[in-house]
Amino acid sequence: MVSLIQARNITLSFRPKNRESVTALNNFTIEVAKGEFVSIVGPSGCGKSTFLNIVLGLIKPDSGEIRLNGTPIKGPGQERAMVFQEFGLLPWRTVTANVELGLELKDVPAAERSERAIELIKLVGLAGFERHYPHELSGGMKQRVGLARALATEPEVLLMDEPFAALDAQTRDLMQAELLQIWERTQKTVLFVTHSIEEAAYLSDRVIVMTARPGRTKSILKINLPRPRDYEMRLCAQFNDIKADIWNTLKDELSARSLDGH
Amino acid sequence: MGIKAIYQEHYRLILGSASVLGLILVWELMLTFLIPLNPFFFTKPSLIAVAFKEQVIYGALWGDLAVSSKAFLWGFSFAVLLGIPLGAFMGWRRRAGYTLDPFFTALYASPLVALAPLIIVVFGVGLLAKSVLVFALSVFPFIFNTFAGVRSTDPLLINVVRSFGGGEKDLYFKVIFPTTLPYIIAGARIALGRGLVGIIVGEFYAASEGIGFAISRFGDTYRLPEMFAGIFVLMIAAVVLTEGMRKLEAVLAPWRTTEESR
Repeated sequence: MVSLIQARNITLSFRPKNRESVTALNNFTIEVAKGEFVSIVGPSGCGKSTFLNIVLGLIKPDSGEIRLNGTPIKGPGQERAMVFQEFGLLPWRTVTANVELGLELKDVPAAERSERAIELIKLVGLAGFERHYPHELSGGMKQRVGLARALATEPEVLLMDEPFAALDAQTRDLMQAELLQIWERTQKTVLFVTHSIEEAAYLSDRVIVMTARPGRTKSILKINLPRPRDYEMRLCAQFNDIKADIWNTLKDELSARSLDGH
Repeated sequence: MGIKAIYQEHYRLILGSASVLGLILVWELMLTFLIPLNPFFFTKPSLIAVAFKEQVIYGALWGDLAVSSKAFLWGFSFAVLLGIPLGAFMGWRRRAGYTLDPFFTALYASPLVALAPLIIVVFGVGLLAKSVLVFALSVFPFIFNTFAGVRSTDPLLINVVRSFGGGEKDLYFKVIFPTTLPYIIAGARIALGRGLVGIIVGEFYAASEGIGFAISRFGDTYRLPEMFAGIFVLMIAAVVLTEGMRKLEAVLAPWRTTEESR
């Protein structure tokens, strides 16, 4: 297995104002292969979103090594793009202009930008909404824009921080299915943070379960469901076994955290 | 289309016009039939209309309007040119903001027209003093609204732009400025009203021309229809400016106007 992302012994503490420092990640180590779909699940505050921001290059770890294709990550870069939980669309920009944001920041010429934006808007199923503003869109549509924007810069790695958590259950199911289609078509490497065991099991090649804070890797579960996946698979016994496995690994961490008084 | 349908289509316009026409009619009728008209203390719409027409055709109205507008434009322009950068600076440099805040808050809260006599003593009678007074009254809404706008910038959007490789300049132009723009326009609407007060008070105190001077002189000489004609001109100016500002907002911040009209 050739690793695209290598994170070794990542440790990071936050120092909130007037409070003791909190260790968010403690010797967190993972490797992600090219083209792999990996989900990270763990209790709230275990540092999973923080880890995505480290891979993105917005946060620097206190210690440890983070590499992409063998090169240390020093800041944001074209190979990585994030899909944010709260969408993060610029309200003053139309759908097209939002999708073009990343290209604009990389000085791609205007004609090429809009061509690429139109293509991606079609890919995420938003054709006809090019000139709409974010407030005119539903949550699911907003996240489609977020996905198109992330794909626009043609990153190798797609970082997804609970991207469907703000959506209703049905929209969520739909978005998961479409994400899988897009992933199969574009062959991106995906690092996906979620609270949902079902979502992690359905989407991923591997699921990484993290411990309560400070976050470490508790265990890594390989999901042996065939690809391409469809909704029916969620109803089979094997899928339930996988969910039970993840749940059993996770549940001690959840109680550890609630005893912690948080 | 029946009358009812027409009413339902335009009921806002119909009710608004009806109340204005109703007021004028009641005013006119009361002073024609109910109360004997003492022209020293009161007047009625028909007389005002005649006076207005005469002022427009033969009077000094246009000249007065030009004189007042000039002072207003100077003062208001300087309020924009100084208020916006100062507010932005206070928003970016938090310490500077907190240092300056008490002075500006006190000045904004105070009825600065009380300074009119002092300003006239210092700057003399004429354009300069009036412009300074307009400036003093209208600069604070620009400072405070720009300040508030910069401070309300969504940190998520900052992260989004940074994640796509955006630098400091991109944050200002792609996030902070568009966030602040609607605040500035809202400030401008408040500043307009205050600026008009400034011009009128300035001309009441010390002037030999201008709309404020005309109103004050006609009042002093018991020429009430002419006085009301002047007030009417002011009302028109205020409405036109405020509506103009609304149109400007629709052009500069289209995402806001569609949001409100929903």
